[in-house]
Amino acid sequence: MRKRIIIRIALIAVLILIGIFLYTTGQEHTVLIDNKNIIVNDNTYNTSTVYKVWVDNQEIGVIEKDKRMVATVTGVSHKIVIEAISNQVLSGEKHERIFKFKNNEGAVINIPAMINSLNEWINKTK
Amino acid sequence: MMKKQSSTKTMNPGVYFLINYAVPTIFTILVAFAIPLSRLSGDYFVRELMIRLSRNSFLILALLIPVMAGMGMNFGIVLGAMAGEIGLIFITDWQIIGISGFLLAILVSTPIAILFGYFAGIVLNRAKGREMVTGFMVAFFMNGIYQLIVLYGMGNIIPISNTNILLPRGYGIRNAISLLGIRQVLDKLIPLEIGGILIPVATFIVIATLCVFMVWFRKTKLGQDMRTVGQDNEVARISGINVEKTRVLSIVISTVLACYGQIIFLQNIGTMNTYNSHEQVGVFAIAALLVGGASVAKASILNVFIGVILFHTMFVVSPRAGKELMGQAQLGEYFRVFVSYGVIAFSLALYAWRKRVEKENERKKVMDYRKSILVK
Repeated sequence: MRKRIIIRIALIAVLILIGIFLYTTGQEHTVLIDNKNIIVNDNTYNTSTVYKVWVDNQEIGVIEKDKRMVATVTGVSHKIVIEAISNQVLSGEKHERIFKFKNNEGAVINIPAMINSLNEWINKTK
Repeated sequence: MMKKQSSTKTMNPGVYFLINYAVPTIFTILVAFAIPLSRLSGDYFVRELMIRLSRNSFLILALLIPVMAGMGMNFGIVLGAMAGEIGLIFITDWQIIGISGFLLAILVSTPIAILFGYFAGIVLNRAKGREMVTGFMVAFFMNGIYQLIVLYGMGNIIPISNTNILLPRGYGIRNAISLLGIRQVLDKLIPLEIGGILIPVATFIVIATLCVFMVWFRKTKLGQDMRTVGQDNEVARISGINVEKTRVLSIVISTVLACYGQIIFLQNIGTMNTYNSHEQVGVFAIAALLVGGASVAKASILNVFIGVILFHTMFVVSPRAGKELMGQAQLGEYFRVFVSYGVIAFSLALYAWRKRVEKENERKKVMDYRKSILVK
């Protein structure tokens, strides 16, 4: 009888753990990618060119100056890669960042801040 | 009249077959007429049938266990469908998508389905012999509770943060919820296309697994107990089987399977009608099973698949056949709805009639035996 109760409790615990795993790995997050000027500590970082954006190895598209793009991602850990386009050709100059999400989080990523390695390159939103 | 009825058992095998399989025979004839009338292309027809086979089979398979336990057609599968929908509301609120969302919906709705099934089982135990009509009423009753929870409880008592699914007043769930995040995740998990027709391999694997489970389950101790209970409650009780518990278990299993069936059904469609999606689940699943040649007392896996094919062929072809025949697709729809409900009524009447004939035959046999003893 006691063994049966222990097995049942263990089973419920395993199911709860699976639930938590599914919850964290399956949650969708919205990432807004800005190619806009940003002011940090009274310094203005200007957007210089057009970029091609990949999130989690998936092509999101080309982002023009002063424009915003939306990407949706699933799970906790993600990678963003941007590559400058000059004269309609990919320059080969790539920038890469890894970012993580907690529950119910979204993010706004600023490309000029990302290129200049500022801490403000990502702004988490709820 | 009695003479006429008692003679059915001794009539020729062809007529006996027709009486036993009247519903599938009528349906086969109807379908055979309706298919050429509809003028649908073969491709379209096969594609539609494939979708409906993968979409509905699991729900109909959920009906088999209560039949085994002698509880007839479980109209209470609507409760399972409601549990599945509650799971889907939660994963939509939490924005869990993909196969994770699908599995989480199953995980979340399982305890709710067990609870609903347990409640239905207890109620049905108090209404022995009238399980079907009681199941029907329990479904109506629980629909009211479901609406109360979803319309007033969610957003008020149960926290819902996703404003996309909340009504503008701040509580209650919208009438329609988009399940785009999990749309066809199971169907497209193992993609296979033959001649431009998508074969939902993963869904068929799940259905096949359930069929294997059913075959295995019949051979287990619990399966044997259910069959004994289904044949005779008193004999089962004398044999030491806890009849009430076995009956409750059969309803719980059926409700949980119906819950999964509804999730499979809705992931295929990709939208959920919060307050209506579950309403017709019981009627259509039962009608399909009866069309497949099942009766209130006997149903098999084969009945499920024959039923799905015949019943859903009717779904596909009847609007077009109605349009071609009378110039109005709506007429075909009316006909289909009439047939859905009619087939249940016809099967139940046929079953009751057969039961009466069998009882009459039994009685006659006993009387003849007594007479022969007295003569001696």
